[in-house]
Amino acid sequence: MTYRVRGSLKTATFVAAAALLLAPLATFAQTNSTSTADRWIHVRVTSTDSKGETVKVNVPVDMAEKILPAINNDRLHEGKVRIDNDNLNGIDVRAILDAVRTAKDGEFVTVQAPDADVRVAKQGGYLLIHVTDKSEHHHDKTAKAENGKKTEMINVSGQHVEVKVPMKVVDALFSGEKDELNILAALRALSTSGDTELVSVKSDDNTVRVWIDSKNVSD
Amino acid sequence: MILLAKIALGVTGTMALATMYTFREGTIRVDVDEHHAGGSHVHVWVPAAVVPMALHFVPDDKLRQAENRAEEWLPVVRATVLSLKDHPDAEFVEVQDGEQHVHVQTQGGRIRVDVTDEGEEVHVACPISTIEDVADQIGARSPHI
Repeated sequence: MTYRVRGSLKTATFVAAAALLLAPLATFAQTNSTSTADRWIHVRVTSTDSKGETVKVNVPVDMAEKILPAINNDRLHEGKVRIDNDNLNGIDVRAILDAVRTAKDGEFVTVQAPDADVRVAKQGGYLLIHVTDKSEHHHDKTAKAENGKKTEMINVSGQHVEVKVPMKVVDALFSGEKDELNILAALRALSTSGDTELVSVKSDDNTVRVWIDSKNVSD
Repeated sequence: MILLAKIALGVTGTMALATMYTFREGTIRVDVDEHHAGGSHVHVWVPAAVVPMALHFVPDDKLRQAENRAEEWLPVVRATVLSLKDHPDAEFVEVQDGEQHVHVQTQGGRIRVDVTDEGEEVHVACPISTIEDVADQIGARSPHI
């Protein structure tokens, strides 16, 4: 074997070894970028009326991440929404979330009232909120005349709302200033989460689902 | 004779290049069909390459008006277009309400909007790169962008 061939072989071996060593890093980087790029948020609204109206929206998470900072309108600036403290009725949401974050898994709030049942819990790194709205707003009233008197029959038709949000997304959402929600940070946190059904609303006339997965179609 | 052949070659070559450029840039399609008596049928196919060129002939005051109106949303359009180019074909919005269907999707580097209603159909397809070119040209005139 000549000196030149031996030198070439040595170089080739060195390059192959370097490639083998760097391959996992490259794969990791690729997997990381793919995992963000392939995440899709799906929204589906299905109406139960005779027409059967259906709305399907599919948005890639990374697209939302790029578009959101470009929107500067009304309360939304640089991916952050300014919230009005008056709407919070003096409730320190941050303090509550901090308490929830540091607490162990369990049920934190259970409210059973005539107009709504509310359940807030933390389970397996997720914040779970279940609300059953039984308020007057969702009741179907039918007037009936009986013995000259008008009576009102109320058919209770509740609305069930289920919200399941990874705690890291909640953390990211409240990572900005006190009076703002950091939507962009929440989206970034969401893009690294697994497949999750985020919101589910079921009422008599509509079903709403919001979920995240790696498919670019909602079916 | 040789001069004529040279001119013919030049013309043919220019036409071939122009055709290639047009096909590469794609076409903007607008199809409107009203399926009833007296209903109109509009089919417009415009080479997308023409649009950025045509913008150079738009009067300055008109373009400034468009620029003022679109200024706030141009960064959003640009971000959307850049992101759309990075994604494979996908259906972004689908609405179905009885006889009405609305689809917004990307297909082969074009954004397509298809609306089907009872007795009426509207289909619009535009290359994503054309939207980017137009946004760039309008944005380039704005001192704030």
